[in-house]
Amino acid sequence: MQQQHAQSAFVTYIGGRLEEWRDGYVRLGLTVEERHTNPHGVMHGGVLTTLMDEALGGVIASVRGLDDMWKAPHATVDMNVSFLSNARTGDEITIEGAVLKVGRSVAFAEAEARRKRGDVLIAKGRFTFVITRVDGRAAAEEA
Amino acid sequence: MSGPSYAQALFTEFIGARVERVDEGTCLLSLTVEPRHLDRRSGLHSGVLTSLMDATIGIGLGYLRRDEVRHRPHATIEMNASFLADGRQGDEIEVEGRVIPDGPYGRQGRSIAFGEAVARRRPDGEVLALSRLTFAIAAHRHPSAAQGPSPGPEPSP
Repeated sequence: MQQQHAQSAFVTYIGGRLEEWRDGYVRLGLTVEERHTNPHGVMHGGVLTTLMDEALGGVIASVRGLDDMWKAPHATVDMNVSFLSNARTGDEITIEGAVLKVGRSVAFAEAEARRKRGDVLIAKGRFTFVITRVDGRAAAEEA
Repeated sequence: MSGPSYAQALFTEFIGARVERVDEGTCLLSLTVEPRHLDRRSGLHSGVLTSLMDATIGIGLGYLRRDEVRHRPHATIEMNASFLADGRQGDEIEVEGRVIPDGPYGRQGRSIAFGEAVARRRPDGEVLALSRLTFAIAAHRHPSAAQGPSPGPEPSP
């Protein structure tokens, strides 16, 4: 149970850090390195969509409770992100996630990404997750 | 210009994506799902798919715009995606992106381009994710601005 709110292998691989995880709030951080950039030298949008997905999967888990989450995992079904500004190598990025609603079968959450330099909002995302039913097949398959 | 008319981002290279084909406004990437690509449920992290779907349009648009990209880089300003099925470790994934042909993609005075991308599992072709992306093309800058560390596009919000 210890690792259940630990971060994913992929976020660890790209260098994301889980900085805070409590009921209804998750914050991740990342220091932008060259490997995170696109050919124009700015951070790739995929870095942010990845961290937002991670933060929001985590924040929904924080509200649902880890036991429920493992019995009936939730998975991203839809996402929508606006990229308002950019970041470059050396920038510190913070991603905060909050829950809009956790229903019986669907959950909604939103994330903001900020760049420390200038304290700029660089992206805003809205994600929808499906919650497999506790007695559903998907949960059984996971076991 | 010599060499390929596209450049893969360091980020998607770092993830492990392979550029299989780049054509007029289209791009095909592939990836083998490894342990490092997984999420907390041990499925393929959706961030891998969003990164690659984004990249196919960025690369395809770069191929279309050629040298102009150096002076007026493009950047994603809006992305939406739907996830239809889970990817798993060992899966072979292909991600195909297409710049909407009738859309404006950086001709003089144009500032917005649109694209759509799909991620599938091989060989059965099951669709894992679909995406629509909007790119902004930076306003014209002096050519010297393209040298050295790029300040990058500053799309108007």
